[in-house]
Amino acid sequence: MEDRTCTCIPMLNELVFSGQYVESVLSCELRAARCRDVLTYSLAMLTCASSGGEPVLYPVIMMAKDTKRCNSLLLEMRQIDKSFPGVHALKNVSMKLRSGEVLGLVGENGAGKSTLIKVLGGAHLPDSGSILIEGQSFHILSPTAAQQAGVSIIYQEFNLIPELTVRENIFLGREKTRMGFVRAGEEHRKTLQLFSKIGINIDANTRCSELTVAQQQTVEIAKALSVNAKIIVMDEPTATLTAREVGRLFAVIRDLKSHGLGIIYISHRFDEVFDVADRVMVLRDGKHVGTEDISDITREKLIEMTVGRPIESEFPRRSSNPGHVRLRVEDLCRGKAVRNVSFSVRAGEILGFAGLVGAGRTETMRLIFGADKPDSGRIFINDVETDIRGPKDAIRNRICLLTEDRKGHGLVLIHSCRENFGLPNLDRFVRGLFIDQRKERKEFSGFVESLQIRISGHEQLVMNLSGGNQQKVVLAKWLERNADIMIFDEPTRGIDVGTKYEIYLLMNRLINEGKAIIMISSELPEILGLSDRIIVMHEGRIKGEITDVANSTQEDILSMAIA
Amino acid sequence: MNRNRALTWCVLGIALAAFVTSCSKTPDYKGKIGVTCMDLTNPFFKLIANVMQEEAAKYGYEVVALSGELDPAKQNNQLSDFVAQGYDAIFLNPVDSKAAGEGVKKAHKAGIPVFTYDVQVTDEKAKDMIVSHIGSDNYQGGLLAGESMMKVTGDQGKIAIITYPEVTSCILRVNGFKDYLKEHDSKLVIVTELSGKGNRSDGYAVATDILTAYPDIVGIFAINDPSGLGAYAAVFKAGKTEQVTIVAFDASPAGKQAVFEKKLYDSPQQFPRKMAKGTVEAFIKYLNGEEVPKKKFIPCAHYYYEDSVNDKSRVAEQW
Amino acid sequence: MTRKLLNDYGMFFVLLLLSVLFSVLTLKEQMPEGSAAAAQLVEQINNEFKKSDIILTVGAVNTGSGPFAEALFKDLRGEGFSNVDKVVGIPRDLRLKLDDISAQGGVLAAIATTGDVPKWLVIELMPEKYPEFSGCKVLAPKSYMWPVFLKRSNLLAIVDRIVVIALIAIGMTMVIITAGIDLSVGSLIALSAVIGTLLMKKMGGLQAPGWVVLVGFLVGILSCGIVGGLGGFIVARFKVAPFITTLGIMMMARGLAFMITGGFSIYQVPRALPWLGQGRPLGIPNTVVLLAVLYVTAHIFMAHTRLGRYIYAVGGNKEAARLSGIPVKFVVVFVYVISSLAAGLGGCIQASQLNTGTPNIGIMYELYVIAAVVVGGTSLSGGSGRILGTLIGAFIISVIQNGMNLLGIESYTQQVVLGAVILGAVLLDKARSGGGLLTFLQKKKKY
Repeated sequence: MEDRTCTCIPMLNELVFSGQYVESVLSCELRAARCRDVLTYSLAMLTCASSGGEPVLYPVIMMAKDTKRCNSLLLEMRQIDKSFPGVHALKNVSMKLRSGEVLGLVGENGAGKSTLIKVLGGAHLPDSGSILIEGQSFHILSPTAAQQAGVSIIYQEFNLIPELTVRENIFLGREKTRMGFVRAGEEHRKTLQLFSKIGINIDANTRCSELTVAQQQTVEIAKALSVNAKIIVMDEPTATLTAREVGRLFAVIRDLKSHGLGIIYISHRFDEVFDVADRVMVLRDGKHVGTEDISDITREKLIEMTVGRPIESEFPRRSSNPGHVRLRVEDLCRGKAVRNVSFSVRAGEILGFAGLVGAGRTETMRLIFGADKPDSGRIFINDVETDIRGPKDAIRNRICLLTEDRKGHGLVLIHSCRENFGLPNLDRFVRGLFIDQRKERKEFSGFVESLQIRISGHEQLVMNLSGGNQQKVVLAKWLERNADIMIFDEPTRGIDVGTKYEIYLLMNRLINEGKAIIMISSELPEILGLSDRIIVMHEGRIKGEITDVANSTQEDILSMAIA
Repeated sequence: MNRNRALTWCVLGIALAAFVTSCSKTPDYKGKIGVTCMDLTNPFFKLIANVMQEEAAKYGYEVVALSGELDPAKQNNQLSDFVAQGYDAIFLNPVDSKAAGEGVKKAHKAGIPVFTYDVQVTDEKAKDMIVSHIGSDNYQGGLLAGESMMKVTGDQGKIAIITYPEVTSCILRVNGFKDYLKEHDSKLVIVTELSGKGNRSDGYAVATDILTAYPDIVGIFAINDPSGLGAYAAVFKAGKTEQVTIVAFDASPAGKQAVFEKKLYDSPQQFPRKMAKGTVEAFIKYLNGEEVPKKKFIPCAHYYYEDSVNDKSRVAEQW
Repeated sequence: MTRKLLNDYGMFFVLLLLSVLFSVLTLKEQMPEGSAAAAQLVEQINNEFKKSDIILTVGAVNTGSGPFAEALFKDLRGEGFSNVDKVVGIPRDLRLKLDDISAQGGVLAAIATTGDVPKWLVIELMPEKYPEFSGCKVLAPKSYMWPVFLKRSNLLAIVDRIVVIALIAIGMTMVIITAGIDLSVGSLIALSAVIGTLLMKKMGGLQAPGWVVLVGFLVGILSCGIVGGLGGFIVARFKVAPFITTLGIMMMARGLAFMITGGFSIYQVPRALPWLGQGRPLGIPNTVVLLAVLYVTAHIFMAHTRLGRYIYAVGGNKEAARLSGIPVKFVVVFVYVISSLAAGLGGCIQASQLNTGTPNIGIMYELYVIAAVVVGGTSLSGGSGRILGTLIGAFIISVIQNGMNLLGIESYTQQVVLGAVILGAVLLDKARSGGGLLTFLQKKKKY
């Protein structure tokens, strides 16, 4: 218990007092402070001006405010510079994060966001610069050191062990033991305590593999709190969440804010950034372009800062002249995932597929492509019934599928761009028994140019490319195939604004060439901005179809997707 | 830079190790003799190799002893290496009597004299290339075993043989055993003949099965001490030590002790020291231009309890 | 371009380094042999001896000293030395000759020889046995230093010992590139050798003509291929882990080999059998030619054909490959069939080298084969690796084994060293590609 003089004015909405009208708080004096886990209780004497004219003293109990912490500078990264062979990733980037605020971090892929975060998290050592946490300088040499400094990073691919329970995961590496035995009861208690703080309602004994993605994410957050994190970084947290879950997440974030934590929120979804962040910081080409209060900036201005040039519209305009029906599907069924799905798509049109995660969109497309076998149903290509037994048949029938998970299913990460490009196309580059590598290289160069793929060379390994460029390589390999029916599953997930636009332009070009495109997307603005027609799926069935896209709203789609 | 440093350290480490090992051999040898046997972990062969080393050193020759590790291809590779290194002689105990012929042919083509011990080379072209062979007279040892078996069982009852048909010396022992019984019109009935692979655990397993199938046998002949001792363990477990007598072979240290403890009735002796000395002598005679006999057989001798009582070598656990 | 070569075939430099190391460590005095050496001595003899002196040129049969003795004998006779005689044979022959000379009352003036002959006890003990020859000199040409490691016979021995393993490693490389593994190859060597030689024995045995050998080989190899195909099918269709599948096949094949032969070796094989493993039609051993041809073919196949690319893709990301239209199941079965065919061929060569068919060969070979593949730079997690790298890996193992044999290092020490070198090679490879070792060495850096 120390006597300390308050150096800041506490937030008024935390005060509890007995009905007297308080005009203003003149000063506050901290009398006692006690820390219990994340929460700090403080006893302060407020000297307030009152209507009676005489200053009045009020004892007050305040929650979650350590005088040092309240709204003070929590994290400062100064002049961070980092280079890799061939790439100057961060150029003297500085950042400030205050306690109790959410800082949005925005930028194109390759702008330096993940490098900055990895420096903070101890995964990379900066070439120069310093990090201060609560005024103290820290040399973060390893992820463990970062954790001890109070930094917790929640990556997109969670660090949970699926076979272990929630409780075991939270205490992983820091088990509570007595004489070598784990004290499960105590861990369980602590976990429940943690959960109640941030309003989580999950059974601590379930295995993480049985949780939904959203639930796993909250467990990650709980884990961060359990190590007394002061700073939490969330990298693309909503990529795989439904709208409702996103709402839950934001509630948790607000809760964390009120406890004085600082949160860095990385996302490509500007909607969300505007929703949850207090300030937003933009990186471009490794440089800090600017940081603004969220109330001081518009969406267009943010896009402009991110991309570096004004964008007239997010979705390119075009006209639509659909032709004959290229693909028709009747009564496709596969267990509970796909139930009697029937639709058709015409040449020259983009058919959007909307729905919640798990609605059955990806599963349907996999049936069409032959990746899975349907229980029943028929597929007609150009009005001819076709039997598709595997991807080879689909490819022969000029269908192609850009998978949702490009790293897992679309690319061989340890191979080069050229090799990935060539993979389904080798029959075109074959002369007799051997592959004509010159032809392969020539074709690939053509696409590198037309798609503006930014790589250092044909032989660069695909795993070293940014998400956007990876997607372009996937595109290139299918374009070479000259498919007539192209299925795009989440084509712009994890891709920055600038590249997204390029991909939209490309899709338009393909439409004009007479191809039929089916696009699955979870970003409603994207679906509304690009599709000619929209089909909404819900729990394996088609719930409805929107033909007048121009005059439809997100609510129209959502109402069908959810109900 | 770091990677180059690591590379250098690794290489230097290997070089140092190899150099030290090779340097630790004393100089001043006139030449080298290459020895390869079927399995250096067998104390029989280890002893022979050691004695060879001692003897050869007296004449100024260094012996390099390698193990064929029961792999005929590996042994042939060792022979190739001896040839390449230009050894002055090769002492060979073949893993496989025929396959070793290939290695012998290579050595002969390079003019290196090859001497065999304990097991002969049977490849038709190669066997004439061998300068001299020395070994126990396994057949005669088999006769001795037959004699002991007839004596101890009173020439009555059923007996079993635990053999090791992959090795010619063991085949000879069994042949000698059977022939003795036949020549003396023995009334003993050989009910079965199974392979104990020459080691204790297989001998134990096989003997257990034999006792189950023929619970009234009175004797077991095992072609070496390890399989004999394994058979004893099985007999002991079945509680039939009064009923079944075991005759083994070799009179290795373990065998001698077992005879003393009356677990084995007899174990016709081999004389590995004589074998080793004999091989070295043959080489020296060859160098001296003297005539060397093509084959020399060292007769085996009985080893009964009486022999074991005051045997100093048994107490000292030596062959 | 050179950077890429360095990256892909970095282990080549390790091989080079090892070769230099062993060359240095096996430097030994060598005696020159042959007619050139003879000429050297002629001059010396001319100067030091009278034309009537009794001189013997001695050479050991089947060695280089033989031609030396012959040549020197001819030269000396040509120079007018009338009492020159030659002995080319074994020590006994020399002894008999000395007895002859002594019996005739002659005095031996000199013995001219080379190679290992001066070490013959007959010569060493001559002063004792033949005191009448007390003034006899032993002449030999000047020696020179040359690494035993680099002798032609040794270099050929290095290739010879690794041929079977290197051959099988071709198939194993392909299997490992698909992120699989084949533990059955060692047993398949035995199975093929045994089936092949058994067939040869049944078709005539010792007297059988050459084509019988070919038929035996083909049947042996094909049976292995069938077994391998079965394994590949189980892995591809039923998705059983390759480790377990090939482990089961390994045990079955080994047991089968022993069952077929009853544990014995098959000795009654045609005379033509050794030709494949030991023949030298053009001065180069057959096995070397076979190795070269197969490796070049395999390299071209993997680098330049569709199926080769597919193999890499299946190992890199099986699902992505399938979704690109690649026949993944076929590729998987294919690599296991190739691996077993290679093992079958290896078994034939081993039977030929040993001139017999035994069921207990190839034991533990699968581990050496895998070591060769891994040391050669192929990753066990699949998707990358070079065929020629495997060849280098195989040679590294052979060079180390051979070098240690030459240095007389004990068998068991050899095993320890070999294991350490394999570990070291793999760590080095990881360090090169920027793995844990590199960051470990860099950790001390502060900013």
